[in-house]
Amino acid sequence: MATVSYKGATRRYPGTTRNAVDKLDLEIGDGEFLVLVGPSGCGKSTSLRMLAGLEDVDEGAILIEGKDVTNLPPKDRDIAMVFQNYALYPHMTVYENMAFALKLRKTSKDEIDRRVKEAAKLLQLEEYLSRKPKALSGGQRQRVAMGRAIVREPQVFLMDEPLSNLDAKLRVQTRSQIASLQKNLGITTVYVTHDQVEAMTMGHRVAVMLDGVLQQVDTPRNLYDSPANVFVAGFIGSPAMNIKTVTLGADGARFGSMLMPLTREQVTAAGDGKVTVGFRPEDTDLVAPSEGGLPIVVDLVEELGSDAYVYGHADVNGEQERFTVRTDGRSAPSLGDTVYVKPRGAHHHVFHAETGVRIA
Amino acid sequence: MKRAAVFCGPALVLLAALVVYPIGYTIVRSLFGGDGESFVGLANYQEIFTSPETLTALRNNAVWVVLAPSLVTIAGLFFAVLTDRIRWASAVKVVIFLPMAISFLAAGVTWRMVYEADPDRGIANAAIVTVHDAFADRPPYPGARLRSTEDTAGRFAVVGVPAPADGVQATEGGSGVVWLDFAPGGGGRPGVIDPGEKGLPGVRVEAVRDGKVVAETTTGPDGRYTLPAGDHTIRLPDSNFAQPFNGVDWLGPSVVTPAIIGAYVWIWAGFAMVLISAGLAGIPRETLEAARIDGASEWQVLRRVTIPQLRPVLVVVWVTMVINVLKVFDLVLVLAPEAVQADANVVALQMWRVSFGGARDLGLGSALGVLLFLLVLPAMLFNLRRLRREG
Repeated sequence: MATVSYKGATRRYPGTTRNAVDKLDLEIGDGEFLVLVGPSGCGKSTSLRMLAGLEDVDEGAILIEGKDVTNLPPKDRDIAMVFQNYALYPHMTVYENMAFALKLRKTSKDEIDRRVKEAAKLLQLEEYLSRKPKALSGGQRQRVAMGRAIVREPQVFLMDEPLSNLDAKLRVQTRSQIASLQKNLGITTVYVTHDQVEAMTMGHRVAVMLDGVLQQVDTPRNLYDSPANVFVAGFIGSPAMNIKTVTLGADGARFGSMLMPLTREQVTAAGDGKVTVGFRPEDTDLVAPSEGGLPIVVDLVEELGSDAYVYGHADVNGEQERFTVRTDGRSAPSLGDTVYVKPRGAHHHVFHAETGVRIA
Repeated sequence: MKRAAVFCGPALVLLAALVVYPIGYTIVRSLFGGDGESFVGLANYQEIFTSPETLTALRNNAVWVVLAPSLVTIAGLFFAVLTDRIRWASAVKVVIFLPMAISFLAAGVTWRMVYEADPDRGIANAAIVTVHDAFADRPPYPGARLRSTEDTAGRFAVVGVPAPADGVQATEGGSGVVWLDFAPGGGGRPGVIDPGEKGLPGVRVEAVRDGKVVAETTTGPDGRYTLPAGDHTIRLPDSNFAQPFNGVDWLGPSVVTPAIIGAYVWIWAGFAMVLISAGLAGIPRETLEAARIDGASEWQVLRRVTIPQLRPVLVVVWVTMVINVLKVFDLVLVLAPEAVQADANVVALQMWRVSFGGARDLGLGSALGVLLFLLVLPAMLFNLRRLRREG
């Protein structure tokens, strides 16, 4: 159990011009479950590997429980890591895999036995202890990898996309298991994923990264409700938010015939002529033609049972723009229909047209 | 069925003519004497296990099998692991693999020069002597001797032929001179410092009382030395005139087999390295990282995670080398000088020697061939079984 701090941590791979991780500042509290999320190549895994000691830190520092570990080798950092492909030792049994770290620390045999059995029980691995990894299913291997981390009782857990090799159903199931396990153990956890659903469901706080730069760190709720910039707005939420840059009027943003009202402060902050506005597919209503919604021609309807996602296009100020709308699954429109869409209440998001920064 | 016979036919005929028939004939021939007429039963086999020459060959073969495959595997592993971590890995690998491109004959000739006993010619001894002399002083005047141990003035006349030097009584003071009692052009008198005779710098001089060295010095550039006066004997220790360390007689009878094994390892280490490197590339990197995070030192990672995962490759390399080593012939023939060939003998060489080297005892030669075949067989079967299991 410990706090983790990144202080301006930077990683630059030799022969590249852009920093893989650029001046990352991040404070992770004791017992917190922090998720690093972003598209591939955004530096989230590199950040994790820097914390693990598998990647050099070119500038800045990394602290665990206030102690500078920037130049310590991995073995002196008291951390445990779960890898995407699990990285189980193929020549050892499940038991030996979990006992390996303890053996290296010369823990007594009885203590090793107790801790391995305890972890095996927790993860329902008891009957597989004498098997080799290749005789296990993907889900079981994943649990062994978790077990190997748990028996260490480390200061920090690091998890690098531990669920991405599982099938969809098992992933959802394991997701909740990991979250509750972390809650029970209370060990500080840094978890890397590219899946924003995983990030939102598991993390106490979520850090969104892009191109090596941290975009926003906040609770899932706040990320969803007030994304700091256009990237976060588009990344968090599924299907993605409708984000359009449109003409700015004196009293709001003009979506063709539809006016999206903005406050006076927002209009002032947005500046000259253009503004970026976003609204989520789930924050819309289909309305009658007379109620002043945006007319959208339906291109595709995805039926999910409870809901339906309607993909369509509309003519906005002379440009063909694509929109996504969520509606009730039982009253979904058909292909080619024209529906009238009206963003709901004050749930739209306003960003500066050039900087992409949120305008409150 | 018929078609199968047609397709297999040519191969079977060739195999029969080139493999089965020679094996069968060799077995039969091994039961006959040197002339090929007289049936001698198992007498040839009896001779293998009684004649000192073949016993030496068998013993050397055992040394080969114990040392060479393991050393080649270890060297290959060492190079593979190291080249795995450096930038110019491919270039280094090419250099290490290069000996494989040389014929054994050429390699043998090269190594014969390497093992040349004279440190001025053989690089192995040159290296050893250089290292040795870095830690121990080379005797300044090897092979020289004192003209006379009787010199009351503390003067030592040295001439070029070795002889024991016991010491001399220092009568007056403690200073004197060590010089080369030889005047170029002739005319010098023994025991007298004649014009043109040179002082010898760098000679150790000791003052000894009751068998203990109480003071020591070395002569200056003109051969003079100064020691405290007193009741002691002045002497020049033998170490001044000792023979210098000249390295190891590599191709002498005692170490010739290990020396040849060294050359063999040099040739085959590259081959082992390439196979092991390929195996290394197949190990998931994350298992090594996981071990580091689990608290393993680099040595522990290598021993407990890398090597166990390389086991199948290491076994293949080792067994292949065992087969190879049992058949070793050309390297021994080329490297071992005629005089020590009997000491460096191996079964394959002995087979050739008795069959074609004067005695022309093809019966004994065949028996040795059969023995070699039986020795290689288990290793071959092991490799075949592995192949079948993998296939």
